[in-house]
Amino acid sequence: MGISEQLNTYLTLSGILFAIGTFGFLARRNAISMLMSIELMLNAVNLTIVAFGAFIPALQGDGAVIALMVMAVAAAEATVGLAIVVAIFRNRKTPLVDEYDAMRR
Amino acid sequence: MRAWLYLIAAAVAGGIITTPALFVLILLGGSFDDALVASLGTLMLAAGIAVVSMRDIIRCGLAMIVCFLALAGLYVTLGAPMVAAAQVIVYVGAISVLILFAIMLTSEKVGSARLTFQTQAAPAAVAAIVIAVLVSLAAAGTDWGAVTTVIPIATESLAFFIFNSDVGTQQYVLAFEAVSVLLLAAVIGGVFLAKREPGQGA
Repeated sequence: MGISEQLNTYLTLSGILFAIGTFGFLARRNAISMLMSIELMLNAVNLTIVAFGAFIPALQGDGAVIALMVMAVAAAEATVGLAIVVAIFRNRKTPLVDEYDAMRR
Repeated sequence: MRAWLYLIAAAVAGGIITTPALFVLILLGGSFDDALVASLGTLMLAAGIAVVSMRDIIRCGLAMIVCFLALAGLYVTLGAPMVAAAQVIVYVGAISVLILFAIMLTSEKVGSARLTFQTQAAPAAVAAIVIAVLVSLAAAGTDWGAVTTVIPIATESLAFFIFNSDVGTQQYVLAFEAVSVLLLAAVIGGVFLAKREPGQGA
């Protein structure tokens, strides 16, 4: 049984991609880098959903539909998130999140 | 000098794609599907690591496009061509361009590595490795009741699946409409946030 016919291959791939996104979200200083890391995590989850839909007969169809809806929600999230980052950048003149300290002073 | 650097980068990129494919084909005796999945998965992970680790944020955005394209290839091997097409249209075509625009609107000088990462980068790396190991172990240790061949989902049956009204089957029309309302709200919210005058409000 080859690796392309096993569910575990895809689950492991998406787990590693999710971990990469987690690292990026926790470690980067640029707000847009953090948003890109969130996109990576959403894509990892999408890969999991499509893999379950492809390998479990009871979920056939559900996987693809839910993946399409996750994509739409991710598009909405990217729109609003980037608009917020651009709006903050206009006021603070920096995209670095650790300089957004207006509520600490 | 610079041309040589580009050549070396191209050779590294080609190696990232072809090495796992040859490894699976020759050493593990896999099929061509296995080789495709191996090279696409490796490309996806390498591009993902490039997204979170490169210093120049525009290159991060371009690496993200590569990551999304490799993921679209994986969707095709999973028998979901419609999802792969939506991936290319929505992520590669729309979200990546949006993110590149936002990068160029908020760009600053490329900082040093100390400025790219937070001080908590090392604990974050440890946490990420722990998450990857835990997820892989949990996925391998669970009996999902999975079949051993990919069940493809044709585009017609996908459309029927979303819009059918048969009693007793899973119905997604309400969720589909809710998503459209959410997209409208996101568009209006994005316009509102982006159009605000500099002196007005927070």
